[in-house]
Amino acid sequence: MSTGRNNRKGGATRVRKRLRIGLGVMLTLLLVVGGKLILIQGFDIGDLAAKAESLRAKTVTLPAQRGAIEDINGNVLANSIIRYNVVIDPSTNTPADTFERRDPKDPTRVVEVSRDQGLKELAALLKQDFNAVKAAATGTSKYSLLAKGVKPDVADQITALNVPGVVTQGTSQRVYPDGSVAGGIVGYLQDGTTGVGGIEQTQDKLLQGTDGSRSFEMGADGLVIPQAPDKVTAAQNGQTVRLTINRDLQYYAQQVIQTRVKSTGAEYGIAVVAEVGTGNIVAMADSNAPDPNNPGGSAAQDLGVRAVQAAVEPGSVEKTLVAAALVEEGKSTPQEQFHIPNEYTVNGQTFGDSFDHPAFNRTLAGILGYSLNTGTVMAGQRLTKQERYDWLKKFGIGEAPDIPLPGVSQGILTTPDKWDGRQEYTVLFGQGVSQSVLQTVMAYQSIANDGVLLKPRLIDAYIGPDGKVQKTPVTEVRRVLSPETAQKTKDMLESVVTAGEWKDAQIAGYRVGAKTGTSQSPCDNGQAGYCGYTASIVGMAPMDDPKYVVEVLIQRPKTNIMGIDGADLFRDIMGQALRMNNVAPSTGAPVHLDQYGPGGSDGTQK
Amino acid sequence: MSSVNNRMTASSIGNTARKLAAPAPAKERRRTPLVVVPAAPRRRSLMFVISCFTVLAAALVGVLTLNIQLSEGQYAIVNLKAQQSSLSKSNQELTQQVQNFSAPQNLAAKAGALGMVPSAGQGQIDLDNLTVTGKAVAAVKDPKSGLVQIAAPEIAGQLSVVTALPDQQPGQAQAPETKTKPVAPAAPEVPKVQLNGGSVPAPAQRTPGN
Repeated sequence: MSTGRNNRKGGATRVRKRLRIGLGVMLTLLLVVGGKLILIQGFDIGDLAAKAESLRAKTVTLPAQRGAIEDINGNVLANSIIRYNVVIDPSTNTPADTFERRDPKDPTRVVEVSRDQGLKELAALLKQDFNAVKAAATGTSKYSLLAKGVKPDVADQITALNVPGVVTQGTSQRVYPDGSVAGGIVGYLQDGTTGVGGIEQTQDKLLQGTDGSRSFEMGADGLVIPQAPDKVTAAQNGQTVRLTINRDLQYYAQQVIQTRVKSTGAEYGIAVVAEVGTGNIVAMADSNAPDPNNPGGSAAQDLGVRAVQAAVEPGSVEKTLVAAALVEEGKSTPQEQFHIPNEYTVNGQTFGDSFDHPAFNRTLAGILGYSLNTGTVMAGQRLTKQERYDWLKKFGIGEAPDIPLPGVSQGILTTPDKWDGRQEYTVLFGQGVSQSVLQTVMAYQSIANDGVLLKPRLIDAYIGPDGKVQKTPVTEVRRVLSPETAQKTKDMLESVVTAGEWKDAQIAGYRVGAKTGTSQSPCDNGQAGYCGYTASIVGMAPMDDPKYVVEVLIQRPKTNIMGIDGADLFRDIMGQALRMNNVAPSTGAPVHLDQYGPGGSDGTQK
Repeated sequence: MSSVNNRMTASSIGNTARKLAAPAPAKERRRTPLVVVPAAPRRRSLMFVISCFTVLAAALVGVLTLNIQLSEGQYAIVNLKAQQSSLSKSNQELTQQVQNFSAPQNLAAKAGALGMVPSAGQGQIDLDNLTVTGKAVAAVKDPKSGLVQIAAPEIAGQLSVVTALPDQQPGQAQAPETKTKPVAPAAPEVPKVQLNGGSVPAPAQRTPGN
């Protein structure tokens, strides 16, 4: 009995001992583990948590998409698309003699492909020479660019090839689907990001938008950890800019002007179509317009928009402004008769006309109708020098039009105290003063718009990424003429076409008013004297309620200046603008102001 | 019952001491008898362990299922995102092609290639007052009056729609059309590995009939 009890007692002690040892080991382990836990969790020795986090955490930039540029009808003139750069890591590719990939015919099978075969297929997809691709893929460098601007479907096929070291990187490419149609106005990008011409430049900030970002945690297998925080700051895409340009009319105008520049060997040509009631620039055509897809392919002087950047001496188109000023000031009327000699001398300055004529009678309307410098000086000198300056200024000459394009020219209109003895008269017929085509167009717009000068509108609206349309307002600059004077001036302009010398400008079905201008063009580069001529015509239609003002200008044509004033071009472009926009044909009888006045021309008409 | 008997026998074992004087037995009676812990609850504890393991197993299976579901969802998202991006890319590509074809230069060139000519003069019919204004003239093909062709857009990688100049024969401009034909139906490239920024390819899907 007693021994059994002793045995039992000894067994219990041993068990207790073992339990104690076990407990001791457990406690030690717990202490170690607990201590480590405290070290890691409590004190974070060695920034392990941060290191682990940084291994998992990824932040990617969500690039904002650059806004599009559209014409008035929503046709895209510029937008951004995805293209791929194909890059190879030669240090990975060179040692890989063979590689594995899924069999294209049976995706569940993996096949082994030789390096040369892979590169051959890659070269075929890139439409490049195999040897060139192999040369680029061989070496110890880490980076070699194989191709740029690869289309998504080709990029997908390249990815499917699984050639070692080959990566396709998505980039944004700016494309201009209409190319050189309104190319200068739209502008282009430098390095694919910054606008350096036209609307791309002036509206760069709005078009760009703001980049967003996404922070998330990614496991080693490349999958996003679902439970981890995922912070997304959405990219703010750029705004779409809708222009007032109608690309079809723009295209037509560019074609017309290009044809004439080619046939006359002129330096350049410009055609502008503006809407009277809104100041909308419907077309602003340049010869040799640049293709923004390839700005390097155009000569430097062709890259801009000449209609706003080039200031030329306007010539006789200025006479209309003088006539309007004379009527508004009450210093003449359209039917006032002048007796005009072949040459007219005032203050020792002698002025002649573009054609020889005996002394004859012309009304103020007739002076415009026959584009007489002599008559313009006779009538215009009734305005003081300051008045001449103020009136030109009122019509917007000498002040840069507020239009969102780079390098807008304000022209040259010197103050009257700097005018010399001849210039004070020549400004009356548009010499000794220079202005851009747009300035001339807007001055005529004020006449057509019952005397109210508007700001030229090139941007119709901004369309936000949310589709919200924000229209730009029609802005009135100032009232230049009273409605009565504006009407009288319009009548004189119509008479130029109905009774004067420019019957070519007539458009069947519509009443038209227009004025030509031919001026001697001062030489460039500081050379003295004149180098050729500037031929232009500006007019409006339909005269019963003018809708459009059109100007066509041909700079320094090489052929005979007479007869290439562009009346036919004006007619073509204006006719197209009227028909394209379904302008109703004119009603009422055309105005036919007497060009000679009482007693007729004295039989001196040519 | 047996337990009571046991208790009785147990309490009498080894009681060899003689009876003491009067107060002693009272003390003796108050002592709590030592009892062997009954073994009955053993069956209940087994049940408890089993239920514990069941709960544990259920919890593990639950967590596993949830995890699988989440990962599957993640794979599905990757897959769908790959689909979305490839669809939007091909949409963009097709839109781009449409825009290129509808560029005025390309349209005009196509029209010219089909033998169309610009109208020479238009007339207007006013239905309100039944008048005809303007002179409508039949369009004639006059090679001399043709306008200069504006160059087609030079978009890198974009197929050129127009290669023929305006004064070339209509038949010549037909050529690029046949050239563009093979592009129109997007080649059904089946096994594309969509990585989408990650390193795991999206599940490859078989197309029906493969």
